[in-house]
Amino acid sequence: MSLTEFRIGRGHDGPARIGEYIMGTEVYNTPILTAPILSDSQVITYGTIGRVKIHSSNPHFLALPFETHIDNPEKLGIRKTDSILLPCLPSFSSLGYTAGALMLNHQMGVLDDLQSSIESNRIIIRIPEEIELNVFSSSLSDFHSRGVRAAALTFDGLLSDLDYNSFLQRRYLPMSWLVLALGRIAPGTVPLLYYMGFDVIDIGHAQEAAAKHQRLWHNGTESIQSGQPHRYCPCSSCQNLDRLESTQVVDALLDHNVNVYASILSEAQNAMVSGRLRWLVESTTHYSPAHASILRRIDREAYSFIEEFTPTTGASNVPLIGPESYNAPAVRRFREYIAHRYRPPAHKKIALLLPCSARKPYSDSKSHRRFLETIETSLGNATSQIAQIILTSPLGLVPRELERMFPAASYDIPVTGDWDSEETNLAADALVSHMSKFDSNTVIVAHVSGGYLSIVQAAENRISQSIIYTSMETSPTSWESREDLQETLGDLKDILAIKGSKPQELEEIVRATADFQFGPGAGDALVPEDARLGGKPYRQILCRVGKEQVCSYVADTGLLSLTLDGARRLAPLNRYWVHLDAPSVKGGSIFAVGVREADATIRPGDEVIVLNNKGEVTAVGRSEMSGREMCELDRGRAVSVRHKLEGD
Amino acid sequence: MDLAYEQIRNEVKQASIRARGESIPRRRSKSPTKPSAAWTAPSRIGSTKGTALSIVLSSIGCAHARGDEGGCTMCSYLLDGVNRNPTAEEFFLQFQTAMSQLEKLDSPLSVKIYTSGSFLDSDEIPQETRNRILRAISVDDRIKEVVLESRPEYVTDTVLADVRRILGDRVVELGIGLESSSDFVRSICINKNFNLDSFRESLLVGKKHNIGTRAYVLLKPPFMTERSALLDAQKTVTDAVSLGVTTISLNPVNVQRNTLVESLWEKGKYRPPWLWSVVEVLRHASFTGASTVNIVCDPVAAGKSRGTHNCGKCDSSFIDAIRTFSLNQDVRVFDSLKCDCWDLWKHVLEHEDASLQVHN
Repeated sequence: MSLTEFRIGRGHDGPARIGEYIMGTEVYNTPILTAPILSDSQVITYGTIGRVKIHSSNPHFLALPFETHIDNPEKLGIRKTDSILLPCLPSFSSLGYTAGALMLNHQMGVLDDLQSSIESNRIIIRIPEEIELNVFSSSLSDFHSRGVRAAALTFDGLLSDLDYNSFLQRRYLPMSWLVLALGRIAPGTVPLLYYMGFDVIDIGHAQEAAAKHQRLWHNGTESIQSGQPHRYCPCSSCQNLDRLESTQVVDALLDHNVNVYASILSEAQNAMVSGRLRWLVESTTHYSPAHASILRRIDREAYSFIEEFTPTTGASNVPLIGPESYNAPAVRRFREYIAHRYRPPAHKKIALLLPCSARKPYSDSKSHRRFLETIETSLGNATSQIAQIILTSPLGLVPRELERMFPAASYDIPVTGDWDSEETNLAADALVSHMSKFDSNTVIVAHVSGGYLSIVQAAENRISQSIIYTSMETSPTSWESREDLQETLGDLKDILAIKGSKPQELEEIVRATADFQFGPGAGDALVPEDARLGGKPYRQILCRVGKEQVCSYVADTGLLSLTLDGARRLAPLNRYWVHLDAPSVKGGSIFAVGVREADATIRPGDEVIVLNNKGEVTAVGRSEMSGREMCELDRGRAVSVRHKLEGD
Repeated sequence: MDLAYEQIRNEVKQASIRARGESIPRRRSKSPTKPSAAWTAPSRIGSTKGTALSIVLSSIGCAHARGDEGGCTMCSYLLDGVNRNPTAEEFFLQFQTAMSQLEKLDSPLSVKIYTSGSFLDSDEIPQETRNRILRAISVDDRIKEVVLESRPEYVTDTVLADVRRILGDRVVELGIGLESSSDFVRSICINKNFNLDSFRESLLVGKKHNIGTRAYVLLKPPFMTERSALLDAQKTVTDAVSLGVTTISLNPVNVQRNTLVESLWEKGKYRPPWLWSVVEVLRHASFTGASTVNIVCDPVAAGKSRGTHNCGKCDSSFIDAIRTFSLNQDVRVFDSLKCDCWDLWKHVLEHEDASLQVHN
């Protein structure tokens, strides 16, 4: 019977997760720190088998030296609760792909030797720094099939190629595995490691720095020289720093350094729970150019991995502060969904471009209330013929119908009116792609100035529709501009012979939201011609077809909740499905162990359609993990069920 | 050795060959009549102090390094050699040039002959040349001790019979680079290409002719953590003592040009051993071999980034202590060594060993 197990809990912000690592009777909450020092509940102790004295009864991570043969684990001091790091030759895998493959191969051999004496779920493999992807994937699945559930990657703390490579390699590890980051890790890198899905973080550097008489801080180090003034620190270890003997200083600094790691990890975990881990990681980019460049490289190269675990709903306030936010997964995904999933309602005669507002959703802001009044005044009952498009950074643009969608309803940017060229280009590209979906006879009214105007001008050559500018000289909220807008819209109404029609707002919101959430075709499937809608855009909209309710739009989240009937309408699109092994759902949750297969496009927080073993819709609910995890994890809640078929 | 180890060894060999590159055919041309190096130093000869002359003859170099085996991972001594093997006359001139340094010195003297290869390899040093050199030594009564360097494969009964016959009753030692008593370390980390059994055989052949063995013990070959390296050197010392060597010469790795060690070192994947580790091995050696075995250490490039070093502040006191110990064999000289970097060294021993992240 095995005592060692890694259980992943609920919640995600990027690949970061919380969990429990069970070692015998001890249960360690992850993320957790590991160090070669006596353990308390904050830290798991590690050391080398046969070379460290084990003073504590707590379980350890024990490294097996190369060329050590284990016949009798107990004789070597290995307890049933310890986890074992398999041996590698240091630096060897830097010789190249062959060397890397040989190191995995060697560990496989050691695993075979150990199998009779040590259960494989206590084994941690070491990932070589150089390894060819195919070889890597196939040996990972070999290790997985033999029951290995943990791996360690190495960091040298320079945040250059070795560290970058380890971050990228992490993507290929099965999601059910415990992942360790070993080596030299500065406190400021802890949020990024956690964000990228590392569960155990080596803080041996606390000791190294202490030995060098360095005090670590979240964003750097401070050299402590006796007699020299030093920074104020409230931690108890630092209280008598000036009066300590040299040898005691090292101990005090070690305590301080460990405290710093513990505090940063706790901050990161707290940020994960509140959906602000990405923001915390972005804030570390100011610690050093190396921090900034590694995040940029990771965002570029590992976007799809990070995005896969980034929830589609999130915090009510999402700060997007600098260039490091432009390609944050929730932001880039929003731009891509708008580009690939959004389809404007047919027959819009006018596309009105508006600036964003600090207050979200935009229509709650003073400026947008004025814009809406102006539109109403000039178009009256023909208001539904106008498409409203809000230009903004770094989301690019937000159609009015989707203004309550995450993160459009909650992002917060420093507003200065200055746009850098990257954000101008992002928005201009978004605008070009967006306008290409409109009829070429649609007239664009650009009611924008300043940086927003530059976006339109940067896009102008690539847009086929004609553009009328109504706010070039003055602020769009000024009385003059609004007069100009009102006149222009009034004129266009006459010129384009726009007739009044019944309001389409509710249909448009639900259709656009459906397409955004479930992909192209979903809007038509959920809101056919004969659909009946009722409610308020700022509260809730119910959509019925015949006698059945198919979905409801919830303004708080900007998302649709499906009914079983709605799910049946969407099922033919073959997206967002979770296929069960069972004929029906019991209880309020579906666990990963019961999932046969799941659509890989599912992200945490998505509305999902649950199919039974015959492929029939049996429930709808909200995903608690990504589709990949539903397939790979053996436990944990996959879906919180909203509605299910009763009976059976 | 099993297949997996054989594959690992082959990878090291290939990497060694790559690191060597074109360095051997492109060696700088040198005079065939001058030795690569020759120097004298105070030395322990028997139980008294005298002077030792070390001669490095300039030859085409070690056959193992010249050939397609890639040579040892840390060694490029053969780059000090010449591209064309010197003639018998030229070799003898090299020897005479070196010997002139002994002109005004008093007994006892020791002469150590190295070649950046094997003095007993007849392909490198022709037999007549070797014997002529030995005869020249045999007529100098001041010379009480002779050390001849060779790989074990050239240590044969016939050759040693010659040596003993010519040198008479002098103390003679074979200098053999045992490096490590672990065949794994010697063949994989060092790519040395001989096993412990051949070392043992050479030692026994030597004993038969009353010729001692000076075992060169390597501290910290590549692909080992500081602690693994330290433990391996200590174990090697223990094993060498019990095999019956007469001298242990501890060689902390230094980073030589065009070696695998150098290419790792340049990438931040290798650090030469700490002086703390050197002292630790010497203490162990003294404890293990006390009074039966001579223990010496003359670290190359000590205190520099390419050689064994500590933090920079304490290095010279360590080097002095190591030199003193090599002369008087008294470990108490190490007791006064103190430095703040001890904590860091302890951290490296512990942390590198478990994390396998190279601390440099």
